Amino acid sequence: MEIRADIHLTRSAGFILDMNITVQPNGITALFGPSGSGKSTLLRLLAGLERGTVQDRIRITSDDTVWQDETTFVPPEKRGIGFVFQQQQLFPHLNVQENLLFALNRQHTQNDLDADQVYEWLNLMPLLDKNVNQLSGGEAQRVAIARVLLNGARCILLDEPLGSIDTASRSRILPYLDRLHRNLQIPMVYVSHSYEEISYLADYLFVLEDGKIKSKGSLLELSSTLELNSTEGDSAAAVIQCRVSRHDPTYRLSELDFEGAKIFVNAENYQVDDSVRLRIPARDVSIATSQPVNSSILNILEVEVVSFEESPGPSILVRLRRNNQFILARITRKSLNILNIQPGQKVYAQIKSVALLMESTSE
Amino acid sequence: MVTSYPGKRIDNDVIDPDLVSLTITLKLAGVTTFILFLVGTPLAWWLARTRHIAGFFIEPLVALPIVLPPTVLGFYLLILFSPNSGFGKAWTSITGNTLAFTFEGLVIGSVIYSLPFYVQPLQVAFESVKQDLLDAAATLGAGPYDRFFNIVVPLCRRGFVVAGTLAFAHTVGEFGIVLMIGGNIPGETRVLSIALFDHVETLQYGRAHLMAAGLLVFSFVLLLAVYTLNRGRPGQPRRLSLGG
Repeated sequence: MEIRADIHLTRSAGFILDMNITVQPNGITALFGPSGSGKSTLLRLLAGLERGTVQDRIRITSDDTVWQDETTFVPPEKRGIGFVFQQQQLFPHLNVQENLLFALNRQHTQNDLDADQVYEWLNLMPLLDKNVNQLSGGEAQRVAIARVLLNGARCILLDEPLGSIDTASRSRILPYLDRLHRNLQIPMVYVSHSYEEISYLADYLFVLEDGKIKSKGSLLELSSTLELNSTEGDSAAAVIQCRVSRHDPTYRLSELDFEGAKIFVNAENYQVDDSVRLRIPARDVSIATSQPVNSSILNILEVEVVSFEESPGPSILVRLRRNNQFILARITRKSLNILNIQPGQKVYAQIKSVALLMESTSE
Repeated sequence: MVTSYPGKRIDNDVIDPDLVSLTITLKLAGVTTFILFLVGTPLAWWLARTRHIAGFFIEPLVALPIVLPPTVLGFYLLILFSPNSGFGKAWTSITGNTLAFTFEGLVIGSVIYSLPFYVQPLQVAFESVKQDLLDAAATLGAGPYDRFFNIVVPLCRRGFVVAGTLAFAHTVGEFGIVLMIGGNIPGETRVLSIALFDHVETLQYGRAHLMAAGLLVFSFVLLLAVYTLNRGRPGQPRRLSLGG
């Protein structure tokens, strides 16, 4: 299912949502932005939970079906979408199993999803007989996600699904979402203000600000742009995707393949051939113009300089590329001049620390 | 030839008039509550959910019988029921009867008089159902009626019981409006409160005591049940249901 939305909506408080967005028919599209940027409103418009007023200009289509325009409005129950709310909205008069049955009895489409498979993915077996108010936030959210899957949704919209869950449970539930993402062909739209969640999960990214789309593109590419990171200061970072090639139990390190180069990191919890995402903080990356020798730094990558910040400050961000992926380095402007770094130049990036996304909180 | 049965001296065709009044009262309260269930439920739902400007006027209109002297309401109903009014004329041409001083007239009066006692508690219950929960049901494929009957009604069971009980009890306690539009016709419109008034007028204090105490205990037990029900914590399994 591909959803297109062309929206011009004015709210009473002077807030204007003005954007044109296409949800990719596969993968996870993330809507990222501060609160008040309009991301939740956009999601609710896509679901049909809000419809604007007669003055608003809204056109939403799904494949060849018009969901909303001047004359048409398809109510949410007929859109075949699933919606995961921040507060899980499980029905309190039904137990877990009955909540799931509610969804099963009203399936939008017959999908080939096996209920047992869903139970297993989301580890629901121990929860089935429980009352919904006995569940922890993370458990309730797993039930809410299962409810949407069993309902045969052809697209899943998630509105800050981890927003009401404590940090420890978050890192436990994200792998569940990631697993669904890998196993299902259902597109998802994921709204969050947590960049970490988004960099862990998303394939595509829309950055929203004041009701407008500030930037959009593939997550891996967008996450390393200077524009997006220049205001981040010390937390500027790039996200890269690697594949686990082998584990080295002697040093408890795993060797990852990053665009043909090796990166060593502790990734014991993953299996060989798993794809993992790493966050590389710009402040932990330094640049050398010749290959460093006898260094304690393990991860040294041959990269190409793409661009750097034009800023009068003492330190600047440099964007580096290896094949199709990018990393960022924060160096002093003085170093830039001494090394005479130019776009297109081959340099060596020395990475002092890398972190597996969402791993830090689970241990 | 059978003429009389010694030892069974109660006349077969004259039942205790107070029992007749009791039957009429219960019938009136039952019919009124049932009509309110049909009419008041959608009204309460509409009031709980609407943002329409009309809601601002309908809501106090529904509450009016709480503050209005029953005689005011009774007076206007009497005028409405008169064969000179359009409504009264229409009713007479359809049924062949007038409404004033009939049981049907009492039912109409009671429905209006007890409306707020049914609508208000139910409206409060409906308002407590979170919109997000209904949104979730909608995205799961449940249409408006499905949402109402499978989410709202089970979540508001307690509200229905409270509303029905209050409407019933309030109709049982009706006096002024009955006097205005129903008169005091034995077997037709003489309800308990009127019968009690009669007993006092005719100085039959023994009967008056019995009836007053009966009504007192009945009302107290009903209210006790309602408050007990209300005190239960939300989310707890309900203790009473609306008769299945």
